[in-house]
Amino acid sequence: MVKKLVSNFSTEANDPRYFQILYLGSFLFYGISYLSWNAEINKYLAIVGVAIVTQLFFTYFTTKRYSSIKSALITTLGLCLLLQTGQIWVGALAAFIAISSKFLIKIKNKHIFNPANIGIIGAILLTQQAWVSPGQWGSGVVFWFFVGAAGLMMVLKVGRIDTAVTFLLVFGGLLFARQVLYLGWETDVWMHKMNNGTLLLFAFFMITDPMTIPNHKRARIVWAAILGILLFIASNFYYMQSAAIWLLFFISPFTPIFDRVFKAKKYEWIEEAPQLIAEQELFV
Amino acid sequence: MKQTFLFLISLVAYSASYAFCGFYVAKAGADLYNNKSEVILVRDGKFTTITMSNNFQGNIKDFAMVVPVPNVLKREDIRIVDRSIFSMLDAYSAPRLVEYFDENPCQRRYYPVPAMYELDMVEETSVAKENSASLFKNKVTIEARYNVEEYEILILSAKESDGLKTWLLENGYQIPEKAETVLEPYIKSNMKFFVVKVNLNKYNPQANGGFLRPLQITVSSEKFMLPIRLGMANSKGEQDMMVYAFSKQGRVECTNYRTVEMPTGNNIPTFVKPNFGNFYSDVFRNKHSKEGRNAVMLEYAWNVTPSWGGMKCDPCVGNPPYFADLAQAGVGWTNDRSSSVFFTRMHVRYTLDKFPEDLFFQETPNKTNYQARYVITHPANGDLSCDDGKKYTLKLRQRRKKELAELAQLAQWDTYEFYDYIANGTDKIIGVEDSEKKNEFIPMGNSSGGKNPPKGLFVIICGLLVVYSAKRLITRFA
Repeated sequence: MVKKLVSNFSTEANDPRYFQILYLGSFLFYGISYLSWNAEINKYLAIVGVAIVTQLFFTYFTTKRYSSIKSALITTLGLCLLLQTGQIWVGALAAFIAISSKFLIKIKNKHIFNPANIGIIGAILLTQQAWVSPGQWGSGVVFWFFVGAAGLMMVLKVGRIDTAVTFLLVFGGLLFARQVLYLGWETDVWMHKMNNGTLLLFAFFMITDPMTIPNHKRARIVWAAILGILLFIASNFYYMQSAAIWLLFFISPFTPIFDRVFKAKKYEWIEEAPQLIAEQELFV
Repeated sequence: MKQTFLFLISLVAYSASYAFCGFYVAKAGADLYNNKSEVILVRDGKFTTITMSNNFQGNIKDFAMVVPVPNVLKREDIRIVDRSIFSMLDAYSAPRLVEYFDENPCQRRYYPVPAMYELDMVEETSVAKENSASLFKNKVTIEARYNVEEYEILILSAKESDGLKTWLLENGYQIPEKAETVLEPYIKSNMKFFVVKVNLNKYNPQANGGFLRPLQITVSSEKFMLPIRLGMANSKGEQDMMVYAFSKQGRVECTNYRTVEMPTGNNIPTFVKPNFGNFYSDVFRNKHSKEGRNAVMLEYAWNVTPSWGGMKCDPCVGNPPYFADLAQAGVGWTNDRSSSVFFTRMHVRYTLDKFPEDLFFQETPNKTNYQARYVITHPANGDLSCDDGKKYTLKLRQRRKKELAELAQLAQWDTYEFYDYIANGTDKIIGVEDSEKKNEFIPMGNSSGGKNPPKGLFVIICGLLVVYSAKRLITRFA
């Protein structure tokens, strides 16, 4: 009995989503405590509440696998970190769109949009009362925070760090070539642009989400490189605000095409659970 | 010999120092606003109207200005506005001190409505460098040439920074050495240069108090930004800039630096009143350094739609901008009833090491009102010997302790200097025994402003993260 419990706990603790929840959670508290973010507790509660209720609702009618609450929590934290709004209901709406999109917009049992991403885009488009503040992060500590995240993700093999690394190398490389080599700005300017919390959060926590990016490693690398190139063009030549968030939204529908060309097994959150893999078709 | 005032959107090329001039009651005249680095930014779709304060104080024939712009401006994109618009907007949106009067609980009476004091900031600008003039060779293209009242304006485009530098030098514009390297990125980004001189035949030194009038330009670009880099080319010191931004939807915020609200609503001791300027200066310095010296400070944000009857400040330091003022500032949609006018005042104190990149902005739908506002409350006078009066006296003592703590925390003032403040408010009051007034504890900061969540929670989450990582590592390698 005890042995079983311990083994369950071990399996459970290996779920990389715990890592993401803790990391994003600590970042949210860091932001509120040290970066003078407005601690809109009511908004956060609305987002968490609506996300969990929506997740429970859909889970009840589909897989009945309630461990997916962890995914909902990650989405919730992503929304709390990125979505700005003065209205509580806008936050709630974003959470609802985010979670319900996982169940409603699917191709071959894989949801198409990153939930937090579509939640933000949905709230911006539908309400006109939401926005993203790319300047909210400051610099310095934020950078080391994400270096830490990257390091831990590599060591702990959480998520799909290859996407983040490819994306940052391509985007950072192009930006360096333009800003420093061509335009002649000092390296500080490039560093300042790269050292942006929204960009790094996007790279390490949004496009590493195995559920909405291509399954095959080669496909992921191509996909991340395309995203990096597009972001470079959109932000440097079209001066698009919050370009990364919008591009991910537009590129997401192409993920199934990548999956069709490069065939590979779909990602599972919990590795040591063979009985769950059988159910993977139902996994959300 | 010619002096050049070379800047990028109101940026002073050489050292600019900044000092508070103290305390002015009510509205200050335009003469108090010399040498202030101020910009009015109006964003309407992809159009940005920029009004630059002009504080040049040297010989007028030596005046020159270079501003990079994203496109070739047409004649109608260039206007001259009245200097008073800056003092008007500053007076209206400046951090404010509001004064209240306690009622004597033993004799109910009414006191005057809150009085307002306004803060004024004055900075000095020194711009001077000698240079030699010579004829130019056509290394640059003159895209357009306009005579706008007392100004002679050229719109230049350049292919290389050397060409522009040579042209400017040969035409008598002394540019700082390092400015040349900063010009290069703007040239390569295909920006044009708005170059201004004064036409001495049309300039009337008697008009406008001897000052040059502010120039206003409208540019069309998706980029909503203020290039501050050239202004820092030769200066390692701190520079201050006030940005008065108007938009249709809501607050304007910086997208590549944090926009942080100044502390507001704090109750501070009554003795701060005559030194409010110094007080706010210290609050600003303290907050700015606490935020890592790389944040843009928000001092005011409010819906100022002239046709909207709602309250526009609480209370107002000056008159809210009305149709004519907004038109002067470059707001072109005041007659459009369906659009509102939102006013954001940002205070940027920048240095090269902390602000390596130009300032980029975005308009947000954030309509939350905000003002930097500090409150002093005068104690009740007269006989306080009734029961309520005694209670009041105790409360007053507590309040004053808190006020001192706020002062220490906000402005880092040494509150030991004001040790008698707690007792002073009460011992003047007739009929109250003040046994505690000796050895009064003077608080030293850190007691207020606790809106943040407990930092312990942060530590707990980080702790869990460490435990989790360790656990993963052990299972992975075991």
